[in-house]
Amino acid sequence: MSALTMVPPAVVLLSVAVAVAVLPRRIGHALGILATGATAAWAVVVPAGTYLTDLQFLGFKTALVHVDEFSRLMAIIFGLIGAVAVLYSYASEADSRQTAFALSYVATSVGAVTAGDWLTLLFFWELMAVTSTLLVWHYGGRAVRAGFRYAVFHGIGGSLLMGAIVWHYTITGTFLFDGSGIAAGTGALAGLPQVMAAIGIGVNVGFVGLHAWLPDTYPRPHIAASVFLCVFTTKTGVYGMYRAFPDGNVWIAYMGGAMAVFGVFYALLQNDMRRLLSYHIQSQVGYMIAGVGIGSALAQAGAFAHVFNHILYKSLLFMTAGVVIYRTGEEDLKKLGGLAREMPITATAFTVAALSIAGFPFFNGFVSKGIVISASHYTFDYAFKLADYTGLEIMLLVGGVGTFASFIKFGYYAFFHGTHDGEVEDANRGQSVAMIVVAVLCVVYGVFDSALFAILPFDVTDGAVVDHVYKTYTIAHLVEGVALALAGLVLFVATKKPLGKLGRVRDVDSAYNPLTFYATRGLVRGVTELYAAVDRLAVRVARGVTYAVTSPTAVVDELRRRVTGGGVDTEDRPAHPLRASIGTSILVLALFATLGIVILSL
Amino acid sequence: MIEHVPVLLVVAPIVGGALPLLVGLLTDRAGWSVATLTLGVHAALAAWLVATVAGGQPVVYEVGGFAAPYGIELVVDGLSAAVVGLVSVVSLGVLAYARRAGPHTNSFYTLYLLLVAGLSGMSITGDVFNLYVFLEITGLAAYALVASGDQDAAAVAALRYLIIGTFGASLYLLGVGYLLVATGTLNMADLATKIPQVAGGYTSTLILAAFGLMTAGLAVKVALYPVHTWQPDAYANSPDSVSTLISALVSTVAAYSLARIVFSVFTVDFFAAVPLAQDALFAVAAISVVVGSALAVSQRDVRRMLAYSSVSQFGLVIAGFAVASSTAVVGAIIHLVGHAVMKGGLFATAGIIERKTGARTIEEYAGLTDRAPVAAGAFAVLAFSMVGVPPAVGFVGKWYIVLGAVEVGAWALVAVLLLSTVLTLAYFARLVESMYFTDAPTAAEAEAVAEPEAAGAAIPDGGDAAVSPGMVAVAVAAAVLAVALGLAFPGVEQALENSLPFLP
Repeated sequence: MSALTMVPPAVVLLSVAVAVAVLPRRIGHALGILATGATAAWAVVVPAGTYLTDLQFLGFKTALVHVDEFSRLMAIIFGLIGAVAVLYSYASEADSRQTAFALSYVATSVGAVTAGDWLTLLFFWELMAVTSTLLVWHYGGRAVRAGFRYAVFHGIGGSLLMGAIVWHYTITGTFLFDGSGIAAGTGALAGLPQVMAAIGIGVNVGFVGLHAWLPDTYPRPHIAASVFLCVFTTKTGVYGMYRAFPDGNVWIAYMGGAMAVFGVFYALLQNDMRRLLSYHIQSQVGYMIAGVGIGSALAQAGAFAHVFNHILYKSLLFMTAGVVIYRTGEEDLKKLGGLAREMPITATAFTVAALSIAGFPFFNGFVSKGIVISASHYTFDYAFKLADYTGLEIMLLVGGVGTFASFIKFGYYAFFHGTHDGEVEDANRGQSVAMIVVAVLCVVYGVFDSALFAILPFDVTDGAVVDHVYKTYTIAHLVEGVALALAGLVLFVATKKPLGKLGRVRDVDSAYNPLTFYATRGLVRGVTELYAAVDRLAVRVARGVTYAVTSPTAVVDELRRRVTGGGVDTEDRPAHPLRASIGTSILVLALFATLGIVILSL
Repeated sequence: MIEHVPVLLVVAPIVGGALPLLVGLLTDRAGWSVATLTLGVHAALAAWLVATVAGGQPVVYEVGGFAAPYGIELVVDGLSAAVVGLVSVVSLGVLAYARRAGPHTNSFYTLYLLLVAGLSGMSITGDVFNLYVFLEITGLAAYALVASGDQDAAAVAALRYLIIGTFGASLYLLGVGYLLVATGTLNMADLATKIPQVAGGYTSTLILAAFGLMTAGLAVKVALYPVHTWQPDAYANSPDSVSTLISALVSTVAAYSLARIVFSVFTVDFFAAVPLAQDALFAVAAISVVVGSALAVSQRDVRRMLAYSSVSQFGLVIAGFAVASSTAVVGAIIHLVGHAVMKGGLFATAGIIERKTGARTIEEYAGLTDRAPVAAGAFAVLAFSMVGVPPAVGFVGKWYIVLGAVEVGAWALVAVLLLSTVLTLAYFARLVESMYFTDAPTAAEAEAVAEPEAAGAAIPDGGDAAVSPGMVAVAVAAAVLAVALGLAFPGVEQALENSLPFLP
């Protein structure tokens, strides 16, 4: 065993996180950058394979570290963006404790994507939910309640996934990855474990209907915390989805398409910058989920290429939005404007990121989104076609139009529309470095697409590996990119007026937040009230019995009076020596035992 | 001499228990030293026993040389060795807490040792009537310990505990009587062979009634819903040392006894013949899990919340026993031992927090991390362990229980367990959030809260409400142990399973 594989990277990062919490701020952050950077480097050089398999956990075989092309890609980008985000945190005045929470969140995410068995994956998955909740909570204020909803959501999702994994174990007898995903099972309940896994993971990736935690949580914490949050949870979810469904699934593919459209539709309606970006996470993750769901080599390569690129431009977007909030203290697009003149670096970085996420030619989103759309065209043949387009492809293209429109809106209102009164400083030096590094990468991976292809799990330019060879820069594809951009511009202009009048739009959470609240309160109240009612009844019954037990003379007197019909001397009636509740308890106990015997003897 | 170890486990604390009263004629501070010495001996004996049993063979001892089934037999197998070890470790550990926390009287230590004697006896006896005797010794010592608090509420709580507990024990005794009538024997192993030979076999009314009475009686001692009513008051109103000790051990050993009666006397064949009995036990346990958690959620007082949490967690343990597959039972045992460490630790920590800051309710726990960082940390670790966050012991126990349930297709238990995890998370997350992420009340508010508490908590014989390093060490040790056991149990799981021959 080489030195590279002696200790899991997650363990190293976790210990660094602890150190960051106690070290002086500057040294701690430097150490954090070093450790996350080293993780990326580790991921590049470590040979593929499964390591640290000697440990038995709960009597089951585990594999703490597993490296293949999928986990390698995830670990590289997690480490890379972790380093950038720590730098950004340092420049944005995040305190050491917050960065320590953030690093522990990075550590658990890395642990999840380098796990070699379901048990280890689940272990880090649950810890990831805990560490990210702590990161949100740390900010206090309104973030605390959002953090609660976040924790409840992920608690439910994690439990479902756990159920699926346990079920998988009872079917296959092992937790180790065997390349065939979560087992379907047999008999009347066949497929149920897979449904549980899909929904459990679906919470993490933001399935339509299960996504409300995303725009609810991500806009609220510290600006640097948002940069961390936008990267890890959803992407680990995509990775988990691939592990659970390595051969794809048509429903998941369509869910991906639905996410792409739904997310972008809601993004268009938002005015809070980070909330708008959060809906775009759902939309973009939709492309990845569509890729995983299609299941062909081309689609999976596209999904993971999109994971890689998305992490770059989405973290960049959150960084630019963060800088705007940092400098102006304003989160609402309607109250901003004209910042391009004041903050040229930020505006440029934003433009790069926006063109990347929208998939404009020569930016990295163009490359990876193209792969997924191409896969949906050539390697996905479920049902319904319109002209030459498959249904899924249309959904993904519509999502692309919406993405353009909403980023034109973001850029227009924040940076180009009107003028900003008063001086606003541009990003400080650390923030600028972080943003420029990522912006350059967005362009590099867009122009030199072969650099991206090199780290993908499947070689998309090799006809022996994929069903349809992918070429980024063809006339048709370039036309498509520009056409989407124009359509987006038209859409923005057409909807600018009506959208400007729109207030905050309801999402599903406005239905189920109160629902959950009242249901929980109802349950607790119901139990309490039921108990109280039973208690009252029991007390009433018991009072008579207690009276008889504690004051036998009085009862005898009473009986005698009834029998004889005459008066009796009732002067010395004793006081109650016991409290009624003890009697109640005894009565309950007696009933309990009687009931037990009666039931058994029937 | 060495063959007398089992009986010495009971005799040593009884003899030791008499000493503080004798020595008390000379000095009134000797109780702690005597107790420590006695429990040190007890721990050594228990360690020897655990080591011997881990070799594979159960240890059997005939009291007074009278052969079973007529004489009283002490039987130590893997399960009882685990419980005896737990009793020994916890009672010795709580002494470090009690040295400062009090009560400081000699009679307290006499009762303390008597309680340990009773618990040890319950853990190792192989005779159902002998079990009743130890049940009563344990009970009487526990009632008196609860009453040793100097608040009025403690006396009422103890009285309530006394009456309900005695009623429960009487039900158990009645059940034992029925068994004696049916089979003519009281020895557990002998009963296991003779019960099926009774006319009517397992389904004879006499046997069924005995099962109902004995489990109902023990359910009171375990404090399952709805016969838990003595428990919240007893835990919340007794002195810190006592609530730590009894929350960790008394219900735990009672749950062990319930398992012992079910598996060693009635055996799994009884469950096979009378599935209704299994279902009924399971139903009571499942209701206990859900209602206990729900009641815990609705509490504001932290100790009462912890008490209701016990109702729920013991429901989980008994549900594991009711499933009666070897994996589920191993899980239940792990959860039994783990819960003892976690709940004892939580009560110890709650005591420290109250002494330091006067905080008793969830609201008063706000911002505790600044005022009592170590205690808050220990509390958080124990709370997360109780929720079942890996790798702590709370996770391991629940894991095996759920695995066992899945193996036999007991989906109801899986659902109950998931629900209880969510509810447990609900009441502990609220506390952790309050401790770590809510600002502390301002100094003036804190003063107003702390004032009456400090006055009420003053210890009679000159002791103050301060916290000693020993007390903090107990809390931290419990937190460390909760995690360490989680890591260690998977290693001994096979050994534990092998030492439970009564399982299918």
